[in-house]
Amino acid sequence: MDDQGNQLLEVKNVVKMFGGLRANDNVSIQIEKGEIRGLIGPNGSGKTTLINLITGIYDVTEGSIYYYGKRIDGVKANVIASMGIMRTFQVARVFRDMTVLENMLIPAFTQGQSGSEAKTRAEELLDFALLTRLKDKQAKSLSGGQNMLLQIVRGFMHKDLKLYVMDEPFAGVHQSIKGIIIESIKMMNQEKGVTFLVVSHEMSTVRTLCNKITVLCKGERIAEGTMEEVANVPEVIDAYLGG
Amino acid sequence: MSMGINFIYGIMKVINWSMGEFFMIGAFVQYILLTSFLGATYWYVGVVISALIVFFLGALVQRLLIKPMFVGIIEAKMEYATIVTIAMAIFLRNLAVLIGGPYIYTPPDYAGPTQILTLPISGNRLVALIGALFLLALFYYFIKKSWTGKAFQGVAQNRSGVQTAGVNVLKYDMLAFGIGTALAGAGGALLAPIFLVHPMCGLVPTVRGFEIIVIAGLGSIPGILVAGLTLGIAESLGSAFINPSFVDIYGFILLVIILSIKPYGLFGKAEREV
Amino acid sequence: MKIFTLKNIGMLVLLIVAVFLPFVISDYWCYVLTVAFFYTIMAASWNLLGGYTGQFSLGHHTFAMIGAYTSTLLMSKAGAPFWVSIPAGILLTIFISCALGILCLRVHGIYLALITWAFAEVVRNYFRLHYAFTGGDRGIDSPLIFGTMKPTPYYYLFLGITVFAIVLIAIIMRSRIGYYLRSIRDDSIAARSMGVDIVRYKIFAFIAASGIAGMAGAFYGHSIGLISPVMGDFNEMAMIIIFVVIGGMRTQAGPVVGAISVRYTMEILREYYEIRIVILTAIVILIMRFFNGGLMELFRRVKKWIRRDGEGPASAYQEP
Repeated sequence: MDDQGNQLLEVKNVVKMFGGLRANDNVSIQIEKGEIRGLIGPNGSGKTTLINLITGIYDVTEGSIYYYGKRIDGVKANVIASMGIMRTFQVARVFRDMTVLENMLIPAFTQGQSGSEAKTRAEELLDFALLTRLKDKQAKSLSGGQNMLLQIVRGFMHKDLKLYVMDEPFAGVHQSIKGIIIESIKMMNQEKGVTFLVVSHEMSTVRTLCNKITVLCKGERIAEGTMEEVANVPEVIDAYLGG
Repeated sequence: MSMGINFIYGIMKVINWSMGEFFMIGAFVQYILLTSFLGATYWYVGVVISALIVFFLGALVQRLLIKPMFVGIIEAKMEYATIVTIAMAIFLRNLAVLIGGPYIYTPPDYAGPTQILTLPISGNRLVALIGALFLLALFYYFIKKSWTGKAFQGVAQNRSGVQTAGVNVLKYDMLAFGIGTALAGAGGALLAPIFLVHPMCGLVPTVRGFEIIVIAGLGSIPGILVAGLTLGIAESLGSAFINPSFVDIYGFILLVIILSIKPYGLFGKAEREV
Repeated sequence: MKIFTLKNIGMLVLLIVAVFLPFVISDYWCYVLTVAFFYTIMAASWNLLGGYTGQFSLGHHTFAMIGAYTSTLLMSKAGAPFWVSIPAGILLTIFISCALGILCLRVHGIYLALITWAFAEVVRNYFRLHYAFTGGDRGIDSPLIFGTMKPTPYYYLFLGITVFAIVLIAIIMRSRIGYYLRSIRDDSIAARSMGVDIVRYKIFAFIAASGIAGMAGAFYGHSIGLISPVMGDFNEMAMIIIFVVIGGMRTQAGPVVGAISVRYTMEILREYYEIRIVILTAIVILIMRFFNGGLMELFRRVKKWIRRDGEGPASAYQEP
């Protein structure tokens, strides 16, 4: 761990093929502990594929992924989750027939927390997310934004959360809920030192939230740096304006 | 038979558990046609008519019961489809007992015993074999060459994609279900003199059909021919060298072996889940 | 945890009624209820698998048959006593379901249904054809566990097993495993990303349900005295599904209510064998198509309707 210094996650020359399509082409990214990294790029640039590779939903075609210096490509998704990597999905994936509170308990249970401990923590988080009054309702009765929020705070239930990968957490979400999400990201980052990798289309949010940004286009990494640096790279301007 | 099941699955991602009962209906229709209207000489006309009748029946079932799945009323799709088609199977089977009684009907022979070189062979089996090959060829030609067939390929690959390209997916679902069941119906009519006609006569071909599609891999049409042959060979080898009364078991053992080596079947691919 | 809730008191009352019932009803109805208990166990354990976990086993009846045949054959051919043969029957079903589970639960869920179905037919045919060993279609006499034809002891035996099976299932569903199983049914990919080892818990559910079925089957054989390949008929599987769907999937009382009420109805209509199945399957199709939830959902709605009526609109619960 020590010889890796501050490095938390390293994606090294990863290629993912779907049939003849190169969804990720030789992508490399390093993320340091405590970062809030933004991942942007036009539609179809391979952002979600990359997330699925990191979290073990897909297997890489070539290349490797390291987490705390340990290789995690090829490791099963549930094992990756127990190593401290949580994720959210573009379209909120909540357990629809379970109540909001039950939804919250799942990641705590898989990580071996006791029932009462998990419940207290869940109630705290639901309070913070203003979902307390809905806690005994089935998740399917929630609105889209509430589901997204639930999905996000559910990940915080992991007791050793190290890296939180979020896929479009602000898409189609009401302004007030968006505020709660941003606040929760900042809080977890500062208080618990959780590292974030946030995929988003919303440049203004990414600009205020993230210290460093990676840009993908057509499966390749084309730029990396602060928003200002990235915005001046010709390929990025091309990708967004040239189509 | 397997063609029908796998075709429906390929298009709609639904397994139709009542396939064997459509097979049975095909056989019954054929029996009634031959004994009361056509006579044994026109058995091929009977096969066509049986297939047509089963086609309309299948399309009707799809319209009433399966279509709601795709227009958003039903939540747990697989659960719904499985239960409804199983209930359908038992419904049709017992309805058949109710109407026809639990008796076995023997349709007239399609052709007398013949000889190929020195090998004596029952004419019925020869007819069934040629008929099945003809159906396969026809089906393959239809999928590969006709416009409708091309549209089906599109639907199988990407439902929402072809929808935007102006293909009415729901219409094709109904057609696919109809064609799939019609294949079963035609099979039932063809094999009627061999399996005989009774309410449970769809069972054996269905078991075999499911084994074949698992071996072949769900949704793979070319795999079926290979899998069917492999299964046939395994069963005849088993009966020849071990014990002929446990034919079914050899097929199942083959399936177990193949699945432990290739979990998705010979020609199946892992599906993209997210 | 509140113990004296209305629900618990209701269950206690039902249990007491069940205990005293044999003093009131005839031997015939006692026998009918014993059979109904058997189906209750089958339906409840299938609900654990098909209802809560979303995994369709179509060989549930086959596991009961394997349990029954194993225990019976061990006793009649090898002379084993009950306390050896019945656990042996249960262990064998657990072993087979474990192997089948590992084989087909690694891939798409529909494989379990396809393979258990093929498995069921193959096993049934084996028992039918290998008549030197299994008695073939005619079946085989199973030694009676209490050595008597009187149905009352068997009634209590099955009442006990039923309560045991239901409590066991309730414990599983209230434990962490229950949470995992429900999360897998709702969204297996999300469950995986939350750290749930989905393959392991799917296989667990399959083994647990099949083991319970094997247990019910082993005791059933020794209670009715004759087992035959009819136990492996697909109609039996369909009946289990019918009980669960009519009672209400994913409810704990549903399979119980479904199995007992449907068995009762079938007993009344016993002269019209095919018609009653035709009607029942038609009901199942209609329930699935128009009214997902079965009898328990009906109870719930009626209850809600009465409450709303009584308490007025001010406290009306907002339907999601």
